[in-house]
Amino acid sequence: MAICQFFLQGRCRFGDRCWNEHPGARGAGGGRQQPQQQSSGNNRRGWNTTSQRYSSVIQPSSFSKSTPWGGSRDQEKPSFDSFDSGASTNRKEGFGLSENPFASLSPDEQKDEKKLLEGIVKDMEVWESSGQWMFSVYSPVKKKPNISGFTDISPEELRLEYHNFLTSNNLQSYLNSVQHLINQWRNRVNELKSLNISTKVALLSDVKDGVNQAAPAFGFGSSQAATFVSPGFPVNNSSSDNAQNFSFKTNSGFATASSGSPAGFGSSPAFGAAASTSSAVSTSAPAFGFGKPEVTSAASFSFKSPAASSFGSPGFSGLPTSLATGSIRAPVTPAFGSGSSVAGFGSPGSHSHTAFSKPSSDTFGNSSISTSLLASSSIFATDNVLFTPRDKLTVEELEQFQSKKFTLGKIPLKPPPLELLNI
Amino acid sequence: MSLFGTTSGFGTSGTSMFGSATTDNHNPMKDIEVTSSPDDSIGCLSFSPPTLPGNFLIAGSWANDVRCWEVQDSGQTIPKAQQMHTGPVLDVCWSDDGSKVFTASCDKTAKMWDLSSNQAIQIAQHDAPVKTIHWIKAPNYSCVMTGSWDKTLKFWDTRSSNPMMVLQLPERCYCADVIYPMAVVATAERGLIVYQLENQPSEFRRIESPLKHQHRCVAIFKDKQNKPTGFALGSIEGRVAIHYINPPNPAKDNFTFKCHRSNGTNTSAPQDIYAVNGIAFHPVHGTLATVGSDGRFSFWDKDARTKLKTSEQLDQPISACCFNHNGNIFAYASSYDWSKGHEFYNPQKKNYIFLRNAAEELKPRNKK
Repeated sequence: MAICQFFLQGRCRFGDRCWNEHPGARGAGGGRQQPQQQSSGNNRRGWNTTSQRYSSVIQPSSFSKSTPWGGSRDQEKPSFDSFDSGASTNRKEGFGLSENPFASLSPDEQKDEKKLLEGIVKDMEVWESSGQWMFSVYSPVKKKPNISGFTDISPEELRLEYHNFLTSNNLQSYLNSVQHLINQWRNRVNELKSLNISTKVALLSDVKDGVNQAAPAFGFGSSQAATFVSPGFPVNNSSSDNAQNFSFKTNSGFATASSGSPAGFGSSPAFGAAASTSSAVSTSAPAFGFGKPEVTSAASFSFKSPAASSFGSPGFSGLPTSLATGSIRAPVTPAFGSGSSVAGFGSPGSHSHTAFSKPSSDTFGNSSISTSLLASSSIFATDNVLFTPRDKLTVEELEQFQSKKFTLGKIPLKPPPLELLNI
Repeated sequence: MSLFGTTSGFGTSGTSMFGSATTDNHNPMKDIEVTSSPDDSIGCLSFSPPTLPGNFLIAGSWANDVRCWEVQDSGQTIPKAQQMHTGPVLDVCWSDDGSKVFTASCDKTAKMWDLSSNQAIQIAQHDAPVKTIHWIKAPNYSCVMTGSWDKTLKFWDTRSSNPMMVLQLPERCYCADVIYPMAVVATAERGLIVYQLENQPSEFRRIESPLKHQHRCVAIFKDKQNKPTGFALGSIEGRVAIHYINPPNPAKDNFTFKCHRSNGTNTSAPQDIYAVNGIAFHPVHGTLATVGSDGRFSFWDKDARTKLKTSEQLDQPISACCFNHNGNIFAYASSYDWSKGHEFYNPQKKNYIFLRNAAEELKPRNKK
């Protein structure tokens, strides 16, 4: 509900009849006094923001000389410095905080989460409208790990891809891949803007688990969020991943999940015709539309645990749907590591894949995981070879297969060559 | 100047003679334009160290070349030499004695360019484009530090083809800065690591990013005793974070500020937000300059937390910036930084490097 401004000022004339929320009036006030550092900080900010709706909320203009910096107020508090977020406090009434996932939380935490989610929504709006660089990871609060579903590509990397494609006369696939990435981003942003219950749960687990993970939080909570950059990926990935989602969720189909992902990877040539270019851009760890579980498993992976690829994460940014909630901690191991179970969506099918990626890009662009994709991916699957011939691999991929474990970000998209499998 | 092919046509005197020629806005600040500027986007700029008499400017560009100019006190710029890579040059730096220039390129190598002999040899190899390169001069060792998109940080003794040390990064290296004994590396996925370089380079601390979006550039600043004490980190979201390594009061001392955003006279209308492409600290005053994709540069005083100046808007983004060793010259490069993708890339558009007198404008504001 909207927070009643008049109540905050102490002069609501409807009292209990008021249709807006009177925070603290329900006996939750006691909880709020507690100095939970984060929440009290947030609450304070909350009061500030809400009351600011009636005062002129101006970002101190940073464009005149010797003006104090707008952001100077936002120091180490776990709050974002967009103080005009007060304007959006009312917007998300559909949160349904009274519903299940949050029922167990104290009012303080509920408030925090509400703020967090509101902040995310606001940030997404700003991100969209501002024309800023879209291929960036994002975290809702400064110190927290990244939210899944966003890739990090620097302008230089993108430009290098452009140049490489230009020289190999393959500009169209570059354009396709960029279009895919853009669609992916847009979907994710829309998803985050129109928070339904499932995305909320995912987000919160994203943020929370990241916090719990202390040390890894920084690097790894985030690193998991990288999506496939490659264009062909979104296409296949979404389809196959969608299919795999459910299997993965039930924790059974890890093998299928992993096999699903190479499907996407098999498409890498679509993106990097020379396949060598994929190194710069294909930061592998797939997008986790689904919050933490995959992340944590991948996190453990990155931290030198034996778990192999982070591919177990079928989570795909464009998928607005169901989320694995934390039950899935399948240590994504040898199945993929040895590559043997990689049901072949191997790269040799690349050319057919390229053809595939185009039409599906359109459907994907509509942000629906259409069943047609699923159908076609399964058809596609049957065509392919299980292993990649060694000469079709790039140097980097070969190196990855030869090393003891995969390095996150370099996980090859193609199945390994037969010779390298030690079974 | 046959070294660089056709001259720019603006004369070698370097003084600005624009304004009358065209109505374009490529130099609204009427700064000195460097002659024979590169043919493609400029990715990096670097001035010579104080050990070299005079000022020499090095620029690396996406045309695969590295160019060197002598900048005279009159403002005249004389092209001196050029070297090529087989891929776009992403970063350049000088050795401490000013005799060598190190260049890092997308061709996955880094080269050492001996200026006196005009020879360049390869000194480093990575598995992916090399994004940053810095020279480290420690009392007991000297080396070149290269950061790459292959997620490693390698240290090279220029005489050997094997790195002295390899450090793993959590993600691709996006930017780095070195002021002995401190080095900061910012990576993809908002990674941030500080290294200490005494004895041998080792990881000092991993820092949780104070910014919410992708890291773009980083620069270390020093305290009054000339010791590196913190860094400024810029992101693609028009924001810079000032972060001290060991502040007495982190909550108060560390802060972020917004910059390179379009003027929101109406605060409810969406602003345009631009990436911060480069940050440089004035070597004497300790004030900083930021350049952004919006085609402006700004000077700031981080201690007084105020803005000192913002430039007019250039018609292209400003992709790199640099101060000379005594802080008298501020160089900035106007060229497309890919911030809006390939659609806005115009290979015909000229790229410029401008030089501005920085002695006065960057004086710190007295703290009120």
